[in-house]
Amino acid sequence: MSPVRVTFVRTVDRLRFQFSTAFATGVFLAVSAVLFAFGLERAEGGRLTLPAIWAAAVSPVLPALAAFLAMDVWSDERQTGRIDMLLTAAVRERDYVLGKFLGSWALLMGAVALFLVTSLVLLWRLAPAALANATLGDFVSAALILALQGALWCAVSVAASAAFFHAAAAAVASIMVTVVLPRGLWAAMTAWSDVGRTAFGEMPLDAHAVDFASGLVSSGVLVSYLVLTAAFLFLSGKAVACYRMVGRGARSLRASTAFVAFLTVVFVAMAMLLAFRLDVKLDMPMAGSSTAFSPRTRNVLAEVGGDLGVTCFMRRSDPRFRPTGRFLRQLTQEAASTGASRVSVRFVDPLWDLGMAERLVRRGVEEGSLVFERGRRLAVLSLRDGCSERACASTIRRLMTPPTRRNVYWTTGHGESSFDVYGAFGMSDIARNLAQEGYRNKPIDLSADKPVPADCALVVVSGARHDFSRAELGRLEAYLHSGGRLLVLLSVPLEGLSSVLASWGVRLGDAPRKAGKTLTGTDVVVSDFAEHEISAPLKGDRIVLENPLSFSPSAAAESGAGADRITFTPVASSGGVALAAAAERGAGAGSDLAVRPTRIVAVGDASFAMNGPLAARANANRDFFLNCIAFLSGTDASGSSGTGEGVLTSKMDRVARRRHLLWSAAIVPSAAALLLVMLAMVRRRRS
Amino acid sequence: MFEIRNIAFSYGRSQVLRDVSFMVSPGEAVSVVGANGAGKTTLLRILATLAVPDSGTVMSDGQDALARPLRYRRQIGYMPERIALYDDMTVKEFLVYRALLKGEPAKRVRRRTSEAAEICRVTDCLRTPIRRLSAGIVKRVALADALLLRPRVLLLDDFLAGLDSGMRTIAGEILSSAAAFSSVIVTGHEVADFARWTTRILVLKDGVISAEVDTAGHDATVLCERVGAALEGGGR
Repeated sequence: MSPVRVTFVRTVDRLRFQFSTAFATGVFLAVSAVLFAFGLERAEGGRLTLPAIWAAAVSPVLPALAAFLAMDVWSDERQTGRIDMLLTAAVRERDYVLGKFLGSWALLMGAVALFLVTSLVLLWRLAPAALANATLGDFVSAALILALQGALWCAVSVAASAAFFHAAAAAVASIMVTVVLPRGLWAAMTAWSDVGRTAFGEMPLDAHAVDFASGLVSSGVLVSYLVLTAAFLFLSGKAVACYRMVGRGARSLRASTAFVAFLTVVFVAMAMLLAFRLDVKLDMPMAGSSTAFSPRTRNVLAEVGGDLGVTCFMRRSDPRFRPTGRFLRQLTQEAASTGASRVSVRFVDPLWDLGMAERLVRRGVEEGSLVFERGRRLAVLSLRDGCSERACASTIRRLMTPPTRRNVYWTTGHGESSFDVYGAFGMSDIARNLAQEGYRNKPIDLSADKPVPADCALVVVSGARHDFSRAELGRLEAYLHSGGRLLVLLSVPLEGLSSVLASWGVRLGDAPRKAGKTLTGTDVVVSDFAEHEISAPLKGDRIVLENPLSFSPSAAAESGAGADRITFTPVASSGGVALAAAAERGAGAGSDLAVRPTRIVAVGDASFAMNGPLAARANANRDFFLNCIAFLSGTDASGSSGTGEGVLTSKMDRVARRRHLLWSAAIVPSAAALLLVMLAMVRRRRS
Repeated sequence: MFEIRNIAFSYGRSQVLRDVSFMVSPGEAVSVVGANGAGKTTLLRILATLAVPDSGTVMSDGQDALARPLRYRRQIGYMPERIALYDDMTVKEFLVYRALLKGEPAKRVRRRTSEAAEICRVTDCLRTPIRRLSAGIVKRVALADALLLRPRVLLLDDFLAGLDSGMRTIAGEILSSAAAFSSVIVTGHEVADFARWTTRILVLKDGVISAEVDTAGHDATVLCERVGAALEGGGR
């Protein structure tokens, strides 16, 4: 048996049956659980993955547990005098150090594994929806970064224990090095260094945990942790060896040890510089991770073909800051992988970077925005609804293409929901998205004796409650016959409008009696999407329609031939009933005959894209609406910011959250600590 | 042959050992006596590689022991003045742990621990937790630890201190048993006991071996008087 193994077994055995270990493990589980519960609540509806939230909850607590576990591995030996006994055995100091380090690290990882198991079991029992997109394999990279961080913190704690006579002093020193020093340096840097503040989004230690757990693995970070761990273990060995260096005769040994320690610091600095210089970033595919960008975004980034500057203008205390920072790191990596563009990111905090903030404000940029710059052009993306991949891609495309704006005309005068109403029943939210995509929203009154303007990209009828007059229908028909595009959102059947739709292949039906899954009894969860430009990107997502009407193909559908042929596609269905349909006349023939095909999309719910339903972000309603617009206007902007796979939905209400917190932060830690205490007592009684 | 040549040691400006030289043959037990602060413990710590001498050499079988400390440590057994064992272990667990740590193959560990326990007469308390043992037994367990791998050199610091007369007799018998396979160097103040159990008594005074008394064929009382005189300032 090697001395390392003997020391490892002894260290584990000693720590495992200590009452203090039971207490520390209980506190660790409780604090991590509180952070995890609040992290879960904050991340609800966001793009942060479950492993990332879990790792972010454990990571800050690890240094304290490591300090507690390893604080007396050496100081106790020194205080009692047992170190004499150890150092006169024919064992190298480094073997002792390695054994003690591995012992404390194994227990640390045991506590982390215990927390993982309890977290997953509790979520499985109390919030199974949160686990819908996560597999145990997704937690591998989270466990990897926590293992790396845990190893470093244990190495630091072992070194502190070797250097200090008292365990408490060793623990304090360890906490100073692992928590106070890095976070203090970070705070100082954000306070005084403009370069540092704008270069880093968040505290690197936290960012490492979140990035690795999301599958964004960096070789530079990995090597740095390993090098630092090895260096601290090496210095621990030297600190133990110093115990022998008493007397005047050891002066030269002390000097050479100090020189070796200095060389170690230099080596570590050089190794880390080299590691970050040659940094290789891997994007590990993970279920539920948003690291995989859509083909559209990748195309947009490939088309940039040069430098793209992104400024995140936001306070660091803003809850959107961390996910935005992480998204921008992914974007930078994705751009680098395309090889065609280089994205440089800087962070401007209006509280700290007053000069830069003032310049941005003068350019009309409001706080909580992303500013994309390419050459002398600038495009601003407001992050009121968070940072979505789709919006960023659209903004970058807008930056690259000449400023041609397409007009979306919203009909008025029939009780429609207006795009400039900000209440729950208004559509200001989706209208803002359209503006971000490059559209200009305009009202149109068809009752006025004027045709639909020539600059109209499409007409939107958003929830008309009164029917259109014959004249209005005539103008609408004329517009459609000239290759017009129409989006109809209907909650009540209107005879006139129905007849227009029927003449273009779409027959409006009643609300279906049985229409599949429902959340509240009146709504319908739609997850059956056709292979259509609108719905194909939404596969795996779901949209929620409130008491929807149904559609079926009318006699006009599939009746014509050539350019007059109308195709009907049930884009979104539930229980075999089409709840949204698309009709197109002249598809495929248009390019030869220079005829613009007419397109109509009808959705059997007028409220699904209103501000209220859109606020419940756990659905793909927004993407569905924007895809409809993209199809109708003939742009390639279809996509999905994802809900089913990317967005975290735990579906926990307030009571469920309280129950989760009670179990995870109180009952389970107490039970675990009690169990460990009982094991220790049984062991003591036996011996 | 274990040979100490011209060992000098100082803590800062205070010189503790000036020129210590002596030899110990295999199977010989040598005791080092001296007043408090004479440097007995320091000398043993140097021999146990826990301190670095200013000058001098320690030769074990013709090889410089301090130049190759790892190999040298395989040959020594050391019992410090201040004994601290692992309270949470039983005697057997402790001895097994120490034997494994010292590199003894697992299959020989049981034999080694049994032998050491037998020599040190702790067989009865192998399953007893160390925290429940008396100070005398703890000392014997520590001695069993030092004897585990039958070291060539056995270094016992203040071995008989704090033991009653019965326990000292037992300890002396253990010491003479150990001397059968080791060169033993023991420090302390118990001259009468050393006269019975060791072959030579070295008097450490003013940083040098000021007197060397052969115990063979002498009465303990006479030896005590001679050692006392040497400690007071007399010669050899």
